[in-house]
Amino acid sequence: MSLLQVQHLKTWLQSGGNTVKAVDDVSFSIEKGETFCLVGESGSGKSILALSIIQLLPARISSHPGGKILFDWRKQASTQQVDMLKLDENALCDIRGSRIAMIFQEPMTSLNPVFRVGEQIMEALLLHNPGLSDEIARQRALAAMEEVQINNAASRFNNYPHELSGGQRQRIMIAMALACEPDLLIADEPTTALDVTVQAEVLKLIKALQQRKRMSVLFITHDFGVVAQIADKVGVMKKGKLVEVGETRQVLKHPSHAYSQKLLAAVPENLPRRDKSKLETTGENKKNNEALVKTARLDVFFPIRKGILQRVVDYVRAVDDVTIDIHKGKIVALVGESGSGKTTLGRAILQLQKPTAGSVTIDGEELVGLSSKELKPWRRKMQIAFQDPQSSLNPRLLIAKTLTEPMQVHGIGKDDEERLELAAEVLEAVQLKRDFLWRYPHEFSGGQRQRIGLARALAVNPEFIVCDEITSALDVSVQAEVLQLLLEIREQRDLTLLFITHNIAVVEYLSDETIVMKSGKVVEQGLTSDVCGNPQNPYTQKLIAAVPRLNS
Amino acid sequence: MNKTMNSAALKKARSSGFLRRVMQQTFSGWGAKIGLAWVGLLLILAVFSPFLANSMPLLASQDGHLQAPVLRYLNVEDIVVLAAFFIFIVLLLTPLRQSLKTLLLVFLMAIVGVTIVSKQFVVEQQNIVYEDFRHQLKNYDWYLMPPVPYAPRDYLRDVRSLPLQAPLVDKQHIHWMGTEENGGDVLSRMIHASRIALGIGFLATGIAMVIGVILGGLMGYFSGIVDILGMRLVEIFESIPTLFLLLTFVAFFGRSIYIMMIIIGLTSWSGYARYIRAEFLRLRKQDFVQATIASGLPLRSILFRHMLPNGVAPLLVAASFGVASAILAEATLSFLGLGLVDSPSWGQMLNQAVKSSMFNWWMAVFPGGAIFMTVFAYNLMGEALRDAIDPQLDKA
Repeated sequence: MSLLQVQHLKTWLQSGGNTVKAVDDVSFSIEKGETFCLVGESGSGKSILALSIIQLLPARISSHPGGKILFDWRKQASTQQVDMLKLDENALCDIRGSRIAMIFQEPMTSLNPVFRVGEQIMEALLLHNPGLSDEIARQRALAAMEEVQINNAASRFNNYPHELSGGQRQRIMIAMALACEPDLLIADEPTTALDVTVQAEVLKLIKALQQRKRMSVLFITHDFGVVAQIADKVGVMKKGKLVEVGETRQVLKHPSHAYSQKLLAAVPENLPRRDKSKLETTGENKKNNEALVKTARLDVFFPIRKGILQRVVDYVRAVDDVTIDIHKGKIVALVGESGSGKTTLGRAILQLQKPTAGSVTIDGEELVGLSSKELKPWRRKMQIAFQDPQSSLNPRLLIAKTLTEPMQVHGIGKDDEERLELAAEVLEAVQLKRDFLWRYPHEFSGGQRQRIGLARALAVNPEFIVCDEITSALDVSVQAEVLQLLLEIREQRDLTLLFITHNIAVVEYLSDETIVMKSGKVVEQGLTSDVCGNPQNPYTQKLIAAVPRLNS
Repeated sequence: MNKTMNSAALKKARSSGFLRRVMQQTFSGWGAKIGLAWVGLLLILAVFSPFLANSMPLLASQDGHLQAPVLRYLNVEDIVVLAAFFIFIVLLLTPLRQSLKTLLLVFLMAIVGVTIVSKQFVVEQQNIVYEDFRHQLKNYDWYLMPPVPYAPRDYLRDVRSLPLQAPLVDKQHIHWMGTEENGGDVLSRMIHASRIALGIGFLATGIAMVIGVILGGLMGYFSGIVDILGMRLVEIFESIPTLFLLLTFVAFFGRSIYIMMIIIGLTSWSGYARYIRAEFLRLRKQDFVQATIASGLPLRSILFRHMLPNGVAPLLVAASFGVASAILAEATLSFLGLGLVDSPSWGQMLNQAVKSSMFNWWMAVFPGGAIFMTVFAYNLMGEALRDAIDPQLDKA
């Protein structure tokens, strides 16, 4: 008999008079000791489904007009099958945490910042085992921390959450969830906020613990690479419906539903490769090819101040002695984990961040040390597109104004009428409709906003664009569209791109050359095929190996 | 064709603007509606006070000649206030959808123009003897009096010997709110005082907001040394008690309503500067602001077009409370006897009530109630506005 059976579950949410069918007639089951992966794009209802199972949705706005959630409730010795939808709050509290545990995406906010991490694990234990003495609870908490491979657990026990790194915090969350030895662990995107090397470790940990404890896992993710790593069975969700369920290998290799096929085709690993032969020839001509943007021994330091006098005691070396060449017409990928200084480097090249030392040249002209007035003509040549679609557009301005204002400042177009025409053309170039000019940013989806952000960068006809994680906040199918669009525009306009990302798969798909950064320093640079295919630096090797691959 | 299509689209887009949405949400609740109704009533009273409470007839006919004595006795202030009101209405209803900036500019220029013109041509009538109008009434064929047929400074010396009178005692000369110790009609004085209450609220807050936005904006945008110096300036101004500064200035410059407005404005900008600074520090890091810098836009556009509209919402909330506190400051001064001498204000009327030998309830209740209602109305609107712009409340 299965541990969890979800039968024809419906979850409807009320929002402002509208009813959203967040989960619509979903059925699946999880066996004991099995890992079930739910994949889907944002808004597909996968998190709502998880919250429905553990009954954590606010009753005020949610209702379950139909369905059953049958769970094998193991009480002391006996086991009894219960319907989670029919249980009262007391019974639910007994199940939550002790029999079904949950870990969340954001390790920063899911731990209480004012308690020591060890105490938080102890609290979970004591809550579900009222007879436990403090000393035993303490020992079990310590054991749980050792189990999730936290080094030096005894001293970490008394740390506060802010003293731990993101990966360590997620481990504490897992330790807390596993302390009561649950039968089912629900993990809602537990590795999405983590760096890829940390993600690999956490995934390995979850898998090892699950096998040791014969625990079932419901794992929610949007990343097919992660699915391939961890799942026994996989379910694909689309707009509240479960469109396909099956064995992982079967679904990933031969998806039967059209939507699963589309999603899998959009994964960067599966995108149609570009003509690599063309790349090789340009690679050979590298010596003749002039570098458009160069940095030489570039430093960006942020001072750390201490004491009453605010004396500078040390520096955060965000960009440390970086020398790179970006060749004309190339897409150069800048990869690194969070905190590696890749965004700061991008901003320092554009003079949005004042470098501490070193030089940045474009077309042989030195940019460091120019005043904002002297920089103005160069601003036209280099632009930037941002990561966050929410904050990258001024919410109070029409798209028309956002696009035409830079044109006006740089004297592009004779009058407003002509500039509007140019702006409409730029919108068409990023495959949006002309009349989007007369709308405000809040009327667009994330992918559309990213295109508009790109259109703003293109509006002044630049030669060089820094793309700062522009696809990181997007769903995989939208990401694929934006990447293809970027390649097209590059061809048409003869652009040079610096593509900042943490996603190796995107790098392999998109870029000609790759630069790998770690703690402010460039550790490896070269042609993408060399860097990703045959990494030389130990850090690059570790990074490439940690990428969850679809076809591993 | 393209152009007409564009302007039509533009109009449609305007209607979904952020401010409009916020306003709709603000005034959807009862509290804000009551507040707005009260302030609207005050506005009408303030603008039309010479026509609502005056000793002279609005219209009169003498030997077949129609005349309007009220118009002859309007002063510059009355004319400017009336002109401002009508220009505002016209601009509000105008079919030409100009940008807010041009509308504001037109409005200000029109007011300055009217002020200059009326200063040139209007002769201020000195020492009006209100008794004459009542004697004159016998000579008219017919006449139309204002709803309250007493001017605020008409002390009714011809009517009675005992000036102080409770409401609705004299059946011949009806005083809805009684008379004060000099014999002036309290209702008439209340109506004329509403102009001071409104004016001081708006102008003082306006001055404070302009200073606060500019200084706070520069502090937030440049941060660093500008911020450090600016914040020290803010702290210096915050450490000065407004009331005592006002007392000092009144002693130096005499009792002018305009000087009071300016001093209240000059001392209360620090709060607005703090709000704007905090907002700009937040906005400066936002990607769309970084994009404007990357596009090489001029500082003026970055500060006022891209950052200010996104950071102005908390300022509006603070301003609605600021208006209330400016009114209170003026009332306090007048209550202490340092306000205006002859033109009535609510605070000064309260002062009269305290000074008279016995407690005459009508002299305290009506002006006190008006001050209370006005401050309350602005606070109600401020609360509603704060809820409307709070994104966290929006979700719930």
